[in-house]
Amino acid sequence: MKQRLMLRLMQCVAVVLMVGTLSFALMVALPGDPAMRIAAGRYGPDMMNSAIADQVRAELELEQPLAQRFVVWMGDLLRFDLGHSLVTGAPVVDEIGLQLGHSLMLALLAFAISLLIGPTLGALAGLMPGSWMDRTTLVLATALRAVPPFVLAVLMMVIFAVTLRWLPTAGFGSWQHLLLPAITLALGLAAMSSRVMRDAMVRVTREPYFAHARLKGLSDRAVVQRHGLRNASLPVFTYLGLQLVYLVEGVVVVESIFAFPGIGHALVHAIIARDVPMVQGTALAMGGLFVVLNSLVDLGCVQLDPRLRRAA
Amino acid sequence: MSSTVTLPADVLSEHPASSFWTLSRLAGAIILLMLALFAFLGPALIEADPLSQDYDAVLVAPGDAEHWLGTDQFGRSMLARLTHGARLSFVMALLTAASAALPGIALGILAAWRGGWVERLLVASSDVVLALPGLLLVLLLLAFSPGSFGPLYLGLALYLWVEFFRVARIEAARVFTQPVVEATLRLGFGWGYILRRLLLPALAMPMLTLFAFAMGSAVVAVSTLSAIHVGLRPPTPELGAIIVELMPHYSEAPWQVLMPATAIFLLVLSLQLFAGAKPR
Amino acid sequence: MNKKTGILVGAIVVLAALGVWVSLDNKASDPLAEVLDIASPLEISGLEPAKSGYLFTRMQAAETLFIINRERQLVPQLVENVEVSGDGLDWRMDVRDSVMFHDGTPLTAEVVATNLRRALARPGVLQNTPIDEIAVDASSVVISLREPFALLPAFLAHYSTLMLAPSSFNEAGDITAIVGTGAYQVNEVVPPLRIELSAFDDWWQGRANIEQVRYLAVPRGETRTMMSQSGDADLTLSLPPVATEQLASDPNINLQVVTIPRTRLLKLNTAKPFFDSAQERQALSLAINREALARVVMRNPDLAAEQLFPAAISGWSNRQLAPLEYDPQRARDLLNEAGWTLGDDGYLSRDDQRFEVTLRTYASWPDLPLLATAIQNQLAEVGIDLAISVGSYTEIPAGHQDGTLDLALITRSFSMVPDPLATVMEDYGPGGADWGAMNWVNDQAFGLIDQLSVSTDADARDAQLQQLTTLLHAELPTIPVVWSELAVAASKRLEGVYVDPYEQNYYLSDLRWVQE
Repeated sequence: MKQRLMLRLMQCVAVVLMVGTLSFALMVALPGDPAMRIAAGRYGPDMMNSAIADQVRAELELEQPLAQRFVVWMGDLLRFDLGHSLVTGAPVVDEIGLQLGHSLMLALLAFAISLLIGPTLGALAGLMPGSWMDRTTLVLATALRAVPPFVLAVLMMVIFAVTLRWLPTAGFGSWQHLLLPAITLALGLAAMSSRVMRDAMVRVTREPYFAHARLKGLSDRAVVQRHGLRNASLPVFTYLGLQLVYLVEGVVVVESIFAFPGIGHALVHAIIARDVPMVQGTALAMGGLFVVLNSLVDLGCVQLDPRLRRAA
Repeated sequence: MSSTVTLPADVLSEHPASSFWTLSRLAGAIILLMLALFAFLGPALIEADPLSQDYDAVLVAPGDAEHWLGTDQFGRSMLARLTHGARLSFVMALLTAASAALPGIALGILAAWRGGWVERLLVASSDVVLALPGLLLVLLLLAFSPGSFGPLYLGLALYLWVEFFRVARIEAARVFTQPVVEATLRLGFGWGYILRRLLLPALAMPMLTLFAFAMGSAVVAVSTLSAIHVGLRPPTPELGAIIVELMPHYSEAPWQVLMPATAIFLLVLSLQLFAGAKPR
Repeated sequence: MNKKTGILVGAIVVLAALGVWVSLDNKASDPLAEVLDIASPLEISGLEPAKSGYLFTRMQAAETLFIINRERQLVPQLVENVEVSGDGLDWRMDVRDSVMFHDGTPLTAEVVATNLRRALARPGVLQNTPIDEIAVDASSVVISLREPFALLPAFLAHYSTLMLAPSSFNEAGDITAIVGTGAYQVNEVVPPLRIELSAFDDWWQGRANIEQVRYLAVPRGETRTMMSQSGDADLTLSLPPVATEQLASDPNINLQVVTIPRTRLLKLNTAKPFFDSAQERQALSLAINREALARVVMRNPDLAAEQLFPAAISGWSNRQLAPLEYDPQRARDLLNEAGWTLGDDGYLSRDDQRFEVTLRTYASWPDLPLLATAIQNQLAEVGIDLAISVGSYTEIPAGHQDGTLDLALITRSFSMVPDPLATVMEDYGPGGADWGAMNWVNDQAFGLIDQLSVSTDADARDAQLQQLTTLLHAELPTIPVVWSELAVAASKRLEGVYVDPYEQNYYLSDLRWVQE
């Protein structure tokens, strides 16, 4: 186990270096004038002009040779100094901390809700393939995935905020504000995990050990709990790691529709404004988060299926 | 011993030919065929130009004599835009999903089969790719040539393949750890046989499910990107982009917003039905 | 299986119960302590006045020396007794007495001078003025100019020149808090989306009526519309045109729509062979069906831009000009006369050069890509092959600088500095500007602009204005497309709502809750 964690740690470093280098390289290689974009991000389209961009260029020393900027930046990174946002002037770490916190809260809640709905419905459908339950969840899951998240978001707002007035339409700061965006995200996620769970369940029920357990005379409930859920959960669990990343990064539109200050929102703004330190910061935060979550999922998989210990 | 060899042959192998066309599979095939006709014959059969605007017939509701499916906010025929959009979106989704699935599944099987450092290397590199936010990847690739299809595919495929890889690896590992594999090998059957008879049948269902959703995800991703104004250029009709364009009119023209979403829904549903349920 | 179903049913019950509880919770709030919620699309990009200063002036947290009043006159706000020396070079103004900052310190001439010097040293409009020196004389500020400049008060009404208390800055001179002189003091800023304010007891114009105000930046128009419908926002700004019809009939909402001094226009690179003659530019203008654009995209046919300046800009809107028309046949004829002939593919060409141009635009204003899509279609009718590139708005100044821009669809405000001359001077003066003319040379226009910037005689000024607007109308260095309006939805529980067409101030201090 120690060795495994060491491996993850090394991987984490590799990811950090890779993400950092790549985003730096890509941002520099992008067409367009960085000074101009930064000026636009700072002063808005009505104020921004090339004279202001020239001042920005001089101020941020964007004229320095690339290699020099890169070396300086990597040095900063190794000292965990992510620099200051070019647009707001605030330290990147502070901004990311704030936004990641918001996104994480939203993501975790969405994830919890999706876990409540998705695998449950999936398992039920999988136990009764071909039943009305199976068919309804299939159509529902498909519909939820075929509708872009922002359409779903608008729909949720129309129903729960405008018509029923149960929840606030948009904004942030209280747990009520979290619910609508979280449910919007959760529905999309639940659609996916319910189908993966269902297929896994169907397969498990056809396995010989499942039939054997039944023949042994175990009750339906015991069979499902002891053999069905555990085995069927494996592919679903594998999928969870992916889902968490999807959650953290795939929420851009949902966040912007709900006026929610998350990291996806921040990343897009940073890219549009060419705020290189923020882009690197957000990418690093997401990368690091991914490795951590991934380790947890791997550990979970091994817990679920002891045979994998051998393979790993 | 012999019973363990015969059992999986019964459980895992395909159905006899007669039971291949189950009701839901048939339904899936029919919807799929109709969608294909709509998307590929539609543009040739329908005379209306998806780009021609008519400001005197804006947001006409569906059911109109002249415009069966109504018009959009510029008075363009929804029918024409949907057929052209469906063709573009379906081809794009298919390409994206295929170019994500093939390497993903192949690498997943390879990782599970070889294990050891091969597996570690593949998993690590997939982690690194994943750790680079997919959105960042697509946005950056698109920045090189805005509004074109190439980077859009590439970005989405680069994002989606990991999904196939990870599920395929776990599923394959599960098959390889089954006693039946050892038994089969001991009986003198080769790896090719295991691949054909055990692995592919076991992978088919989850992979097809993933594939159907990946196609849906590709179209939805394009629409999500359009919503943040990164993606295709107007006036290209593409299902996802059409939804975004019509979204502000959700209260006055709800049907027009739902139509492209329905097309995506039917595509994913038909693939699901075709791939999925095998009731016994 | 029963257990699973049980969990599911349980979950639904819990969610429903939560919903009911939340809805009860919302209604239980005290009406007197109610927070005024404002939703607007503008995000807070930082505390620096040149960045998001407009938010702090609009929210009445900070104030500028001058302001446009409701009669659309430029009047002193934080200063009084403005005197200009005979040569027009020295401006002396007394700082208004008894103006307090939110931290209790008084606004002094010294503080005003410090703020102005800071604004002058940083990117912002003040750098476009011929200010030489800012001095303090007892309770007055004296601004010395290098040359006469009639527009100085207008520039001093710009948000980047707002007044902040010394406690707003840290030792490095960066702004750490907004401590202004306005009716509301800033309690919390959560960039990029939220500002919380409360009424300031010692505001020099008397205390505001509503105690608490919360500003939320909501970038998407659909969301703002629904916040207004659901009552989550009491004051909703910049509603999308689509929403106005929807909200006009809402019994809980008062909708106000005002025309604002902002024009959507085509910026043309007049050095390109496609646009180098006035004839070609006129043809382009004739090919655009403004009425349809205004009706279909802006949802108000009256917004078709008959000329560059909307009627709301008094003095600049010129009634004698013939409205810009839609006449595709005349457009074709003019293009023909200019040597462009229609090819077999339905597109124009001249000397083996196809009339093929790329229009750059941006989505920060959601209607721009829509207008572009319609213009693309209309220009195709006369044989112009227009590609649309929707990207970052920075690509337009960038294309202006490196000369790669063909044409761009932009929106231009004439009220950033609340005298249109400040914008016109920059945009249509020699050398053009990033958001104005490009490679357009017209000595007559340049001369008129020069005269206008120093002239103080009203009659002469009117004549010059008339000449200039006539010239811009005929020459079309930029082609006006549609004018703009600002739609504001206010809850019926609010009274005293005034929509400022110059978007300088939301006049929150005048608002009050309707007493039931």
